[in-house]
Amino acid sequence: MMEEGAKTLSKKKGSPVLPDMRGYFGEFGGRFVSETLMSALIELENSFRKAWRDATFRKEFRETLAEYSGRPTPLYFAESLTRKTGGAEIWLKREDLNHTGAHKITNAVGQALLARRMGKGRLIAETGAGQHGVATATVAARLGFESRIYMGSEDVRRQSLNVFRMKLLGSEVCPVDLGGKTLKDAISEALRDWSRTVRNTHYLLGTAFGPHPFPLIVRSFQSVIGQEVRRQILSAKGKLPDALVACVGGGSNAIGLFHPFLGEDSVRMFGVEAGGRAIAPGEHAARFAGGSVGVLQGTRTYVLQNPDGQIENTHSVSAGLDYSAVGPELAYYRDSGRIIFDWIGDTDALDAFQELSRQEGIIPALESSHAIAYGIRLARSMSRDQTVVINLSGRGDKDVMEVSRILSMKEVDKI
Amino acid sequence: MTVKNNVAPRWKRGASPSPLIPYIVAGDPDLATTATYLDMAAKKGIFAVELGIPFSDPTADGPVIQAASQRALRHETSLESILGWLSGIPRNKLPDLYLMTYFNLFHHMGVERFCREAQRSGRIAGVVIPDLSYEDGALYRPVFRRYGINVVGFVSPTTPPERARRIVRDSRGFVYYVGLMGTTGSALTLSDETRQVVSTLRQWTRKPVCVGFGISSGEMAEEILEFADGVIVGSRLVLDERDPDRWRKTFEEFLNAAGKGRK
Ligand SMILES: Cc1ncc(COP(=O)(O)O)c(C=O)c1O
Repeated sequence: MMEEGAKTLSKKKGSPVLPDMRGYFGEFGGRFVSETLMSALIELENSFRKAWRDATFRKEFRETLAEYSGRPTPLYFAESLTRKTGGAEIWLKREDLNHTGAHKITNAVGQALLARRMGKGRLIAETGAGQHGVATATVAARLGFESRIYMGSEDVRRQSLNVFRMKLLGSEVCPVDLGGKTLKDAISEALRDWSRTVRNTHYLLGTAFGPHPFPLIVRSFQSVIGQEVRRQILSAKGKLPDALVACVGGGSNAIGLFHPFLGEDSVRMFGVEAGGRAIAPGEHAARFAGGSVGVLQGTRTYVLQNPDGQIENTHSVSAGLDYSAVGPELAYYRDSGRIIFDWIGDTDALDAFQELSRQEGIIPALESSHAIAYGIRLARSMSRDQTVVINLSGRGDKDVMEVSRILSMKEVDKI
Repeated sequence: MTVKNNVAPRWKRGASPSPLIPYIVAGDPDLATTATYLDMAAKKGIFAVELGIPFSDPTADGPVIQAASQRALRHETSLESILGWLSGIPRNKLPDLYLMTYFNLFHHMGVERFCREAQRSGRIAGVVIPDLSYEDGALYRPVFRRYGINVVGFVSPTTPPERARRIVRDSRGFVYYVGLMGTTGSALTLSDETRQVVSTLRQWTRKPVCVGFGISSGEMAEEILEFADGVIVGSRLVLDERDPDRWRKTFEEFLNAAGKGRK
C-alpha cells in the first residue's frame, strides 16, 4: 500500500521526491554528525526504508496505533469557538486524545517497532515538554526496552508531572544542566550518549529534526495525521480544507499534518512558532523570524545564532517549542513559499489556552495553544464557507501547574 | 605567499619532531595564556597543535572541554577574531596549527571567506571539524583545498573498511583515528582493535595516522605511539589549562612519554 501523501505528491507534475539520497531537502538537511554515528545512521536509514516497504511492518504500525493509542483521532468541529470567532469553520484535529496525550506517541511507536526489528535493546530520547519522553518511556515499557530520557533542568522544573510519569513508566530521567537547560541541551546530551552506546542503543529522536534519516522517518510516521484529516474532512464536508495550522517546535506535528496536502494548491498551510516575550535574542524561539541558515545538531537549517555563529538560547512559555533550530523540511517549504510561518507570543498563547478551555471544554497543551491563537485569528479573516483545521497536538494537563503559577503572578502584578 | 599548508613533508613518520598533538582551547582561561602554550609547543618542536575554537554546543565533547569552551566564550574568541589574533603572533612562536571546531562557525563566517583569511594569515595548516561528515564535506573540501587548508578526515571504530579507505584517501595533513566510542574525555582502554585498525590505515597511506579521544596518561600515549604516528591529547591537558604551571608539567609528561614512544 502506498503512502497517501506520496501518491498526491507524485501525481503533481515535477514535485521532487524529498529528501534526496543524501538526506537533503534542497539545500537543507544533511548528516552533520561525528564519524562515530555515521554507520548507525546509514544502518537506520536502510532498516527504515526496508521496513516501510514491508506490508507486515506497516500493518503492525497501523494496528498498534489503533489498539494502543486509539487512532484515528477525531476531527472535531469546534462550533462554539467558531461562533464566537465569526469567520471560517474551525476544526480541531484531536491529537490530544492519543494515548499519553500528544501526537508524539505515533513516532515513538513507529521507531520502537523499528528498533526492535534492528535488534536494539535500549532506547534513549530527548524531551522538552516531556511528551516525547513520556511517549518513549511508554513504548519502552510495552516493548521491553531499557530507556533513558534526557531533559533540560529548566524543563524538568516546569514539566514535573511528565518527569514523574516517565519514572513511573520505568525510565531513567537525566536532567541536563548545560546551556539554556532546555531542549537543545537535551539533544546534545542524547547525541553524546548515543556516540558511546550506538552499537546496542537506538536514539528515538522526537521530532522531524536532526541528521538524515530522522526527518524522513519522523515525517513518514507522523503523516498519518494529515492522511486521517484528509479522509475525515472529505467525509464531513465533501471538500478539502482551506487552511491548515500547526505549531512548530522541531516540526513533527506540522509536517505530519501538512505533508499529505503539499500537492494541493488550494490548501494553505501555516506554521506557528513561539514568539516568547519578544523577537529579540534569547527572548523567543521563532527561527524563521529571528534566525539565519546554519548547522546545528546534525542538520543544515534555520538557526537562532549570534553574529559569531554561536547558538542563542531561547525562551518560550511552552517547553516543546523552546528550541533554537527547526526541521530542515519546513525550512525548505518556507523558502519555497509553500508554507507560511508566523509566530505567537507567550501572552496570546496563554489567552488561547484559557479560551479553548472555556469555549470547548478542551484544555490544550501550551504548544498547541500557539496554533489555536493563530488559527482563531486566521479564521476571523476568512469567510464562513471556508474551513480551517488546527492541529491540537496535545492536551494541557502537563501545563496546568505552570499556567496557574504564571496567572497567579499576573494577578499579583495587577494589585 | 608561502603558507605552511601541508605539513606532510615535514611531518614524515619517524621524523624528528615530537608526535604529540596537544589540544588547546583558545581563550581558556584567556588568550594571553593560550599564546604562551602555543609558544611552548613551538619551542618543543611538536608536529602540530589542535587549537579549539569554542562553540556553544559541542556535541562531540565531554564535560571537560564543554566547561573550557564555556569559559573561553566569555572572551573574544570568534573564529574571525582568533584569525586576527594569530596574525599578530610572530610565526616562530607558533607550531603548525589545526583549528578544531564545529562546522557552524565556518559555515557562518562563510567557508570561502574563512579560507581566504586563513591563507592570508599564513598561520593555519588545517581544520579538524568533528561534525562535518565525509558526505557533507564533499561540498566543502574542494574549497578548503583550493586555499591550501588541510581538512583532516576522521575514522572511528564503527567505520566500515571501504568507507575508511575513502576517508583516508581524501584526508589531508593527517588522519584522525578516534580511539574510542564516545565523547572527548571518556576513558580509552586500548584494545587490539585499535592497534589493528591503525596498522591497516597505515598500510593504505603515507599520511600520518594519529589517535585521539580519551588519552589520559603518558603511558597510554607511549603505548599508542608503538603503532601510531601521532597522539592527540585533549581533555587531560584542557583540565589543567587554567593553571599554567600544571599545564606545563602535564605537557612535559606527555612530551617525555611521546619521546619514549618513538624509540
Ligand atoms: C503537545 C506538543 N505539541 C507540539 C510540540 C512541538 O514539537 P513538534 O514541532 O515536533 O510537533 C510538542 C513537543 O514537545 C508537544 O509536546
